[in-house]
Amino acid sequence: MSDTLQTVGRMIQEVIGDDWDLDQPITLETSFGDDLELESIEFVSLAEALKVEYGDEVDFVGWLSTKELDEIIQLKVGDVVEFIDLCRSSN
Amino acid sequence: MSFLELNQVRFHVQELGPGAESGESTPAFMAHGLLVDNLASWYFGAAPRVARDRRVVLYDLRGHGRSEAVRSGYDVATGAADLAALVGSAAEGPVHLVGHSYGALVALRCALDYPQLVRSLALVEAPLPPSRLEEMRSIATADPKQLLAALPERLREALTSGRRRAARARKSLEFLLRESSLVADLAAEVDIPDAELAGLEIPVQLIYGERSSCRPVGDRLLTALPQASLEVLDGGHYLSVERSAEVGEILAGFLHG
Repeated sequence: MSDTLQTVGRMIQEVIGDDWDLDQPITLETSFGDDLELESIEFVSLAEALKVEYGDEVDFVGWLSTKELDEIIQLKVGDVVEFIDLCRSSN
Repeated sequence: MSFLELNQVRFHVQELGPGAESGESTPAFMAHGLLVDNLASWYFGAAPRVARDRRVVLYDLRGHGRSEAVRSGYDVATGAADLAALVGSAAEGPVHLVGHSYGALVALRCALDYPQLVRSLALVEAPLPPSRLEEMRSIATADPKQLLAALPERLREALTSGRRRAARARKSLEFLLRESSLVADLAAEVDIPDAELAGLEIPVQLIYGERSSCRPVGDRLLTALPQASLEVLDGGHYLSVERSAEVGEILAGFLHG
């Protein structure tokens, strides 16, 4: 769990880049909407980074496509970490 | 993330589905709408469904998303030239084109101007002429100082929700509305005569929202285009997001080869 959180946290930081101004560390409770204020286009970059990291093992885009855009923006980092770990443990 | 330099502009491009070398299916290129929209509305919407059957190429229009913020070229013909250049560089034509709103006008213009590149066309809420769109009316008629205030609720929401996100959206929108030729380009945009539409000899899928101000355009295009079919969904103009699952199924059923 903590490895995945670290990986996802690093990717989020890379995606946000120079705009990064969060004082708090990224935790499982950090929300993409209220805390990180991730833009939709930044979410695309995150999805692409996950694809590069985990390949076909984790179908992040497929998982997200079952959700509404508003729902996606309200996700917590923990939801994504949990999904990744679930995919990887079932393989 | 990948970037392509086309027509002297740096475009942000994303692909879904099988790679260029794998399948024999015809790829689909998808164009999004204006202002606060970008390729994410396809990426997290209908595109994954389409990508189950074929390679899907998404891009941010010039001045939008992560594509370069250039000052000019927001007329539909230049948008079509951008899309044609993207098709030429990313695929061996002819391909399927899909567009929402202004992106649908770009796709339609591309099919008319570059018929050799286009196998079929899916238009979601194409506003023809662009003044059909309520947003366009408020943008074109508002006092320049009040442009931001005149925007419809959906666009205003994106500009007021959160600090970092809102600041970025405002900056991008202010650039497009005040420092680029977008407003003037759209105001100068004219209708496409029915006689020209009648010459488009490819299958066209029209998708419109029952409650959209553009809804009558669906009927007009259905009559004017020789090979068109129309689906009307329960929704407004932003079907690609509001009704993404249904739009994805319709597209998957329509696109062949």
